[in-house]
Amino acid sequence: MSMVQLLQTNAQAAPAKPRPRVRLLPYLLSLPALLVCVAILVPFVTAAVYSLQRYRLNLPYLRGFIGAGNYIDFLSDPAFWNTFRISITYTAVTVVFELLLGLGIALLLRRPTRFHNAVSIMLLLPLMTAPAIAALMWKLMTNPSFGILSYLVGLFGVTDFKWASDPSSALFTVVLVDVWVYTPFIMILLLAGLRSLPRQPFEAAALDGVPANFVFFRITLPMLAPYIITASLFRLLDSIQQFDIIYAMTQGGPGDRLMVFQVQAYLEFFQYTNVGRSAALLMILWLITNILSNIFIKNWLRLRARAHGHA
Amino acid sequence: MARLDINSVSKAFGAARPADGLSLAVEPGEIVAVFGPSGSGKTVLLRMIAGMFEPDDGDILIGGRSVVGAPPERRGIGMAFQNFALFPHMTARDNIASGLRASGNEVASRVAAISKLLKIEHVLSHAPRELSNGQKQRTALARALIGNPDVLLLDDPLRNVDAKLRYEMRLELPNLLRRGTAAVLYVTQDYREAMAIADRIAVLIDGRLAQVATPADIYAQPASVAIARLFGDPTINLAEVSPVAEHGVLSATVAGARMRLGAADGAAPAGACWLGVRPEDIAVSSASTDDAIPARILAITPMHEKAVLLLRLADGTEWLAALPPDVPHSAADDNVFVRFASDAAMLFDRATGLRIGPTHRLKAA
Amino acid sequence: MEHSSPAGRVFRGVALTLILIFFMFPIVWIFLMSFQTNEQILRIPPRVLFEPTLANYEALISGQLRTAAGNLQISFMRNLFNSVVLSSAAVLLALLLGVPAAYAFARFKFRLGESIAFTLLSFRFAPPLLVLLPLSLYYQELGLNDTYFGIVWVYQLIALPLILWIVRGYFEDISPDIEHAYRLAGHSWREAFTRIAVPLAGPGIAAAGLLSFIFCWNNFVFALILASADKQPVTVGALAFVTASGIQYGQIAAAIVLSVTPTLLLALYAQRYLVEGLSLGAVKG
Repeated sequence: MSMVQLLQTNAQAAPAKPRPRVRLLPYLLSLPALLVCVAILVPFVTAAVYSLQRYRLNLPYLRGFIGAGNYIDFLSDPAFWNTFRISITYTAVTVVFELLLGLGIALLLRRPTRFHNAVSIMLLLPLMTAPAIAALMWKLMTNPSFGILSYLVGLFGVTDFKWASDPSSALFTVVLVDVWVYTPFIMILLLAGLRSLPRQPFEAAALDGVPANFVFFRITLPMLAPYIITASLFRLLDSIQQFDIIYAMTQGGPGDRLMVFQVQAYLEFFQYTNVGRSAALLMILWLITNILSNIFIKNWLRLRARAHGHA
Repeated sequence: MARLDINSVSKAFGAARPADGLSLAVEPGEIVAVFGPSGSGKTVLLRMIAGMFEPDDGDILIGGRSVVGAPPERRGIGMAFQNFALFPHMTARDNIASGLRASGNEVASRVAAISKLLKIEHVLSHAPRELSNGQKQRTALARALIGNPDVLLLDDPLRNVDAKLRYEMRLELPNLLRRGTAAVLYVTQDYREAMAIADRIAVLIDGRLAQVATPADIYAQPASVAIARLFGDPTINLAEVSPVAEHGVLSATVAGARMRLGAADGAAPAGACWLGVRPEDIAVSSASTDDAIPARILAITPMHEKAVLLLRLADGTEWLAALPPDVPHSAADDNVFVRFASDAAMLFDRATGLRIGPTHRLKAA
Repeated sequence: MEHSSPAGRVFRGVALTLILIFFMFPIVWIFLMSFQTNEQILRIPPRVLFEPTLANYEALISGQLRTAAGNLQISFMRNLFNSVVLSSAAVLLALLLGVPAAYAFARFKFRLGESIAFTLLSFRFAPPLLVLLPLSLYYQELGLNDTYFGIVWVYQLIALPLILWIVRGYFEDISPDIEHAYRLAGHSWREAFTRIAVPLAGPGIAAAGLLSFIFCWNNFVFALILASADKQPVTVGALAFVTASGIQYGQIAAAIVLSVTPTLLLALYAQRYLVEGLSLGAVKG
């Protein structure tokens, strides 16, 4: 580069802008994402406003502000308490089952052999099936006239098992589908967690002849705790909002046997066109999920920092 | 040709002030080493010059023009990073050529020239992950040098290469860097590297330039006790003394012995001082004289080109002496006498740590 | 640490077999069913060996169902097409919006960025109906109801947080010095972004894109509320299909197989990144 060229480069380098330089770039880059954020927040705020209104689509002239009216109505409404109870039961049963089963499978597949890896990949397939489609699959398998599962329980002498169409077994059936779809989620997270644990404590314990159940409860479980907590909270958050499986299976029925929050909110909106009540129901659900998701995000961030610390 | 001027530059990150009124000028073709302990602000200074962040205060000029606020790509700077920062998805050749905007033929010939100079012609088609650390370092240097930048910034480039290569590069680098007319700023944590490579050394401590001078001057005339301790291995011996001036001679009692510290021209230093004596300026003998400090040898460490003696002076102070290995000397546990020439003594103010004249030590290191 | 006593090995073998049967059987069974005629399906006891027929698939592809009640027009292929269009468009839009934002959040720590990133994350866990129901009313006013764009826009709720957080992690793992070096070599930030950051985060961007595609494809509730028949994806279409009268069971099974095959294949292809995607980037596989 010649001298003249050098001088020219320098001439270009002369700043025209005064200091301090405002960094616009990050804001420009995140503008579109901000737009999406706003596009989500607007309907969210709208929903909050609706929940304070008497608002029925079929009776628009009755629309008006009623404060906490919708919420107060819920307190004395057995339908609401039924929904509340069913949602909590569904969430608790699915998460506990999936956690125990998922942890068990993860422990079985812990050693990274080729066979174990193949099994863990196969187990991911239910998770990658759309939950609504998974519900359809199980509907076909539990059909009273030709369903293979109805046939199989028949072999054990249970001839009149009606699966999702019987109030006494409906919850069991949808829980079964949920377990089928989502256990692999817990399994795969815990398996990744198990395989990322440092080996020294286990090697030391093996050398010292520490009994297996002591190793499991005092070393494995505590070290796995962040993964267990994150996976369980993740499932809690999704499970309490379950819609696809239940809607595709029974639309909340038989009767109101499977009426969980989002299914009831959907029906309030589209069947009873009661927007205010639907919105209030969803706000209560949001309150629950918001508390859970705050706890979740805290744990999730800790795991994330760990993953990137190793990188 | 363009000189680099740094004019009272300051930068704060929260409570930390990695740059606190820094001023430094680097002439074209000059190599200035920025040397200091880790966390003293060396890297922050380089990054401000490179435009990765802007100073809070002060100005940076290249060829007399301020570059503050200019984007990095328009400052005419070449830089080699401590972690190499090679582009992992490009070959060594593409890495080196990444800064050239020229015709294909010219790019090829310039890459060929610089890689021949750095002896990496045979690995040009390799991806960075296939290179040894030394080859990575040379590739990074080639990339920084190829554009003939006005200012060359080297951020501790030998930190991550092995000892043999570091030694070779110490000999090779000054020639390489002087081929162009760039003003070179070379950051290092190794005083030997700074002394071997640089025309001048800028000692950076806590965001301030404690001394800027030639390597010989810094070694012989450190501005403060802190700088004296940073240069030299083994480190300088210190003793707390209260010098007195008598008949034009400055002297002090060290571990019971009265030691001459040179001529007392002008006012004698008042109060407590640090006396500093470099280990290689210490003589050890078994003969007692009244200007010798009685001591006991605690340990002798032969180090090939020299032998290092750990001594305990009569008052319990531990000093080190670096002696030529072929000079016959005593064994461990021997009682000996320690001397040093009066012009080897350095005095530092006890309170401020600053060196006190007039005890000039002019002997070259 | 592994117990290889004979009893332990038998227990592990039995347990793994039962687990594989439970999780694999429904998929295998529905797959077999899709090649059976109604008569074969209704046979008791059911048989594993049968003469396979492609009639169910032919009927779905031609869109003509012959039933007891006569000929029935079905638009299952249309649903399949809708799923492809909606999911691909949603992922493309999310990549376009999300990758630059993820870069900004990774490289510049600024409060607005963190707010956006965490708002999107927390809405990933909010009840979707909470946003969807008011949105359906807005959409009616805006004329966005039952448009591809309207549905693609709400799919950002699924795809954007995923892409934002996974890709952000990949950008964070690239040393900023590599980009600094490229800029000092005379390139603008845009060139550093497109030629250094994006190629280096490439695997993460691809994985996040594939996973978002799977999640969009599998979504049910968004389209259920916002789309009418001609814009419905397979998840909603298949359900409507079942409730239609006189449907043949083998055709439902075939529809299910066609609906899940694309995502299952993609999942197998991207399985290395599934853990990372499922945990939104918090756990690496």
